[in-house]
Amino acid sequence: MSLLANRVAARRAPATRPARAARGPRTGWRGLLLVTPFFVFFAAFAAYPLYYAFQLSFLDWHGGATYRWAGLDNYRYLLTNPDFWAALGNTALIWLLIVPLQTIGAIAAAGALSRARLRFTRLLRTAVIIPYVTPLAAMAQAFILIFDRDYGVVNHLLGLAGLPHVEWLTSTEWSKVTIALLVLWKTSGFALIVMLAAIQGIPQEVYEAAALDGAGPLTTFWRITVPLMRHAIAFFVVISTLGISQMFLEPYVLTDGGPYNSSTTSGLYLFQHIGASDLGTGAANTFLLVAMVLALSLAAVRLFRESK
Amino acid sequence: MTALRRGGGYLLLAAAVVAFLYPIWWMVVSAFKPGASILNDPLGAGPFTLDNFRAMLEQVPIGQALGNTAVVVAAKSALTMVFCPLAGYGFAKYHFRFKEALFGVVLLTLMLPTLALVIPLLLEMKQLGWVNTYQALILPGAVDAFSVFYMRQVISQVPDELLDAAAIDGASVLRTFWSVVVPVIRPGLAALAVLTFFNVYNDLVWPIVAVNDESRQTVSVLLANLATNVTGAQTASGFDLWGQLMAACTIATVPTVIVFLLVQRHFIKGLLAGSGK
Repeated sequence: MSLLANRVAARRAPATRPARAARGPRTGWRGLLLVTPFFVFFAAFAAYPLYYAFQLSFLDWHGGATYRWAGLDNYRYLLTNPDFWAALGNTALIWLLIVPLQTIGAIAAAGALSRARLRFTRLLRTAVIIPYVTPLAAMAQAFILIFDRDYGVVNHLLGLAGLPHVEWLTSTEWSKVTIALLVLWKTSGFALIVMLAAIQGIPQEVYEAAALDGAGPLTTFWRITVPLMRHAIAFFVVISTLGISQMFLEPYVLTDGGPYNSSTTSGLYLFQHIGASDLGTGAANTFLLVAMVLALSLAAVRLFRESK
Repeated sequence: MTALRRGGGYLLLAAAVVAFLYPIWWMVVSAFKPGASILNDPLGAGPFTLDNFRAMLEQVPIGQALGNTAVVVAAKSALTMVFCPLAGYGFAKYHFRFKEALFGVVLLTLMLPTLALVIPLLLEMKQLGWVNTYQALILPGAVDAFSVFYMRQVISQVPDELLDAAAIDGASVLRTFWSVVVPVIRPGLAALAVLTFFNVYNDLVWPIVAVNDESRQTVSVLLANLATNVTGAQTASGFDLWGQLMAACTIATVPTVIVFLLVQRHFIKGLLAGSGK
């Protein structure tokens, strides 16, 4: 997630353009030399493989010695394939289960925490962010057991409360919910940190002025605090959206996309081409994903400009 | 009234702490109790045992996997911590031809989805014969756009006067960087190091594609592959497997929690680096 964060940050980067000095101690080839390693890595492990894969996306190739020119067949195959669209739909549903709840929850929690001045707030912040640093591969295994249909703790607790068992990982209705729960558990700490930092960045005088005008706490929060947080809110919505748009590990480790592809996301669908050795189609899918994420990014840039 | 609200506040706070820590707690407790008691007493602590760890260590090459992770974390962090600050220094403080265009490439790379590179890189690794090698795990993404971008932001805060003074004293590029820039940007470097550690330690997207052989798998890859053998196994011995799986997951998770508690401040600083705080 944090790497994604930066894509957004990049777009908001203030163009710190130092006054151009024609001659000076920091000119000439030295600067170019300093940035060269990045471009060596970029050429070797991004530009070249992408170029190679782009060519491949027009081939019918399964990893063997022979291949066939396929033109746009790979793209056509994907765009007319119901599984491709189903995966996109699943991704959108998972987004819907996560982002609104997490964003609103984090705003409310940050507001309450900053107002109530309870003790142990730091403890809470630490507890909530710990899931964010744990290895997904490990915690997903724990979730599989905790949400086990027959012997998991969650269904055990539901049973104690007299509620029916839920097929968390084994039904087409709930598999997306369970994935959303894993993501909510793992990333809400990040949401809280962003919102808390945004609230703490609001100058105290603003609130004093509001108090003079006789505004109540809820009015103050809704009319003053939230609008002043809009930049952080836009930031968070954008990076979580970009993250979810290419999500594949969570369903891969939790459900392997099942049952009946009910939790196959666009990212997992792309990944499955590797297992199927259908590399031409996989390459074409890669560029469809890039197009989708770039479109989302451009929409995000617009959202950001408006939030300023 | 306020007392009541305070009480309610603390109750919510406690509930949140429990909800976020419980899965980790359950994982650790299950690792230390016998399989039968995971089945019969899922909420309790159960009798303490190390059998899960003993059995797991016999069957699962987790030591080797931890060693591989250590190699990858060390090598990748070293590359990041050397080349990204230097590139950030170049972009922040030097004037050279095509600088704007080259920085545009950095920004464009930031927007590239991580997943987009997986299949292209796998094809390249196959061409090079690098599948299942350390270099495949280490080199792609070692000098990444985010770190360059972040270091440029950090280093642009260093006053030009300091650099000019060093230049008048005749200090070389690297000398100036080491003795003038580095001391000033130490907090930023610490945040970058911490972020890099967690990103590489927890990374699974690329490693799961790059290695399929036991001898090179990282801890995360090992765990992701272990599960397929365990889920669905619900016989009595199946629950021993649950315990063993949780033992392996505990071993992989504990280092991240300990490191986090030690470097929390730097980690949060790094996380917020993107949000403009």
